[in-house]
Amino acid sequence: MRMIETKNVQLYYGDFHALKDISMQIESNTVTALIGPSGCGKSTYLRLFNRMNDLIDNVRIEGDVLVEGRDIYGKGLGMRIDELRKKVGMVFQKPNPFPKSIFENVAYGLRVNGIKNKDYIEERVETSLKQSALWNEVKDKLNKSAFELSGGQQQRLCIARALANEPSVLLMDEPASALDPISTAKIEELIYELKEKYTIIIVTHNMQQAGRVSDKTAFFYLGELIEYDTTPHIFTNPTDSRTQAYVTGRFG
Amino acid sequence: MEKQTKQQIAFWIFRIFAWCVVALLLGILYFIFSRGWRTISWEFLTSIPEDGMTKGGIYPAIIGTLCLVGGSMIFAFPIGLLAGIYINEYAKDNWFKRFIKLMTNNLAGIPSIVFGLFGMALFVKKLNFGDSILAGSLTLGLLALPVVIRVTEEALLAVENSFRQGSLALGATKLQTIRKVVLPIATPNIITGLILAIGRVSGETAPILFTVAAYFLPQLPTSVFDQVMALPYHLYVISTSGTNITASRDMAYGTALVLVMIVLLLNLLANALRRYFSNRVKMN
Repeated sequence: MRMIETKNVQLYYGDFHALKDISMQIESNTVTALIGPSGCGKSTYLRLFNRMNDLIDNVRIEGDVLVEGRDIYGKGLGMRIDELRKKVGMVFQKPNPFPKSIFENVAYGLRVNGIKNKDYIEERVETSLKQSALWNEVKDKLNKSAFELSGGQQQRLCIARALANEPSVLLMDEPASALDPISTAKIEELIYELKEKYTIIIVTHNMQQAGRVSDKTAFFYLGELIEYDTTPHIFTNPTDSRTQAYVTGRFG
Repeated sequence: MEKQTKQQIAFWIFRIFAWCVVALLLGILYFIFSRGWRTISWEFLTSIPEDGMTKGGIYPAIIGTLCLVGGSMIFAFPIGLLAGIYINEYAKDNWFKRFIKLMTNNLAGIPSIVFGLFGMALFVKKLNFGDSILAGSLTLGLLALPVVIRVTEEALLAVENSFRQGSLALGATKLQTIRKVVLPIATPNIITGLILAIGRVSGETAPILFTVAAYFLPQLPTSVFDQVMALPYHLYVISTSGTNITASRDMAYGTALVLVMIVLLLNLLANALRRYFSNRVKMN
């Protein structure tokens, strides 16, 4: 099933043309890695799908962005922004748990979306923490502050927080770049498991990581989508010479 | 010269100036304490002035100051808080926002006697509140308003954007994000600022001069339309234009000491509340 599709998307920050005519399709239950040098537009592209670019002043977007076939930027028949953000969860580069208890962090998305049923919230919190492989570490201290967790645990808490909303898509913006190697390995393992249920799009600067976790890889350069193919193809036999140069570490 | 020597010299210059600040504060406190502490007694705090304000206590002035501080905060805190939230969370970065910020800063720089005149013209005369707690509180509130706005703004600005993004990305609205994530994080700083504003307001004389302060009023107020005595004005009166300035010298230092103690206590309270809320904010 086709989960996400962009057609001829142009994005401008004021006069700066940040995304140039991007058309791309992402299938459900796959992991797609977005790679490219800093400033190439990959994070901007990721933030199209939950409309986080809307928070920036002077941003202008043209073209169509479809999630589950529905135009998320369209007026009228489109998708409401809170509905979209429930469906498309996001994990940020730096772990950003709220200054609340572990339990309340995971329950937050449910509460702000109007869910009041206590039993249901408790069940969702437990399920989400199990899915993010954090449950065994925190089940006895759910009422403790999320700030008492380590960086890696905080990031898995943020993943649990996103999963509590039962999204279809999980956007990850360099989710392991602020973590140590062991925590990074745990996150990568988790991505592999979550693929069963979710469509995952991950921005990464780490070529090995893209190679390990993703099914497909898209290479961005100066706001353009240069090449988009299966990950083995991109890493072993890329069509474009710029892709070749980037994945072999000759620039970036 | 060796760069280590230069570093030592610079370090000592910084240290000496920091000590100067502390010494200055301690000097002022010592001056007030040494002259005022003999006057302080339970009776001084709880009785009315007597014998042309050369004896008795300052009870009405303490109560008056508390009324004015409370009244001004009832007015300035909600308006300042909401304005600060608007400026930092909602207003787009355009000329209008810059204009509001410029005006707020200008308002903070206006001499307090001008606030006093304005308060008299608007609240006492035009709105016909007369010399009253209401008029005085509103005038002091105007004075405190830019402080509260700026403190709120800065407290909100200090909240990392990643918290806002995290909340919005989960489907929360902007209002939910502000109420449930941003404000709790900013609360310790807002409270500190609020109490500093109270400290400022409680010591002001000029704004209450024409709007509320009574020269001598032995009874307590019964409504917001009554006049009251207030500590700073009382101090001014008995040190410059009392019935017998020499005889009321001790009373003046006692009053000054009470005023300084109130401000110091408020600052200590600000610190305690700040610590309490920054611990609590991690938890709730």
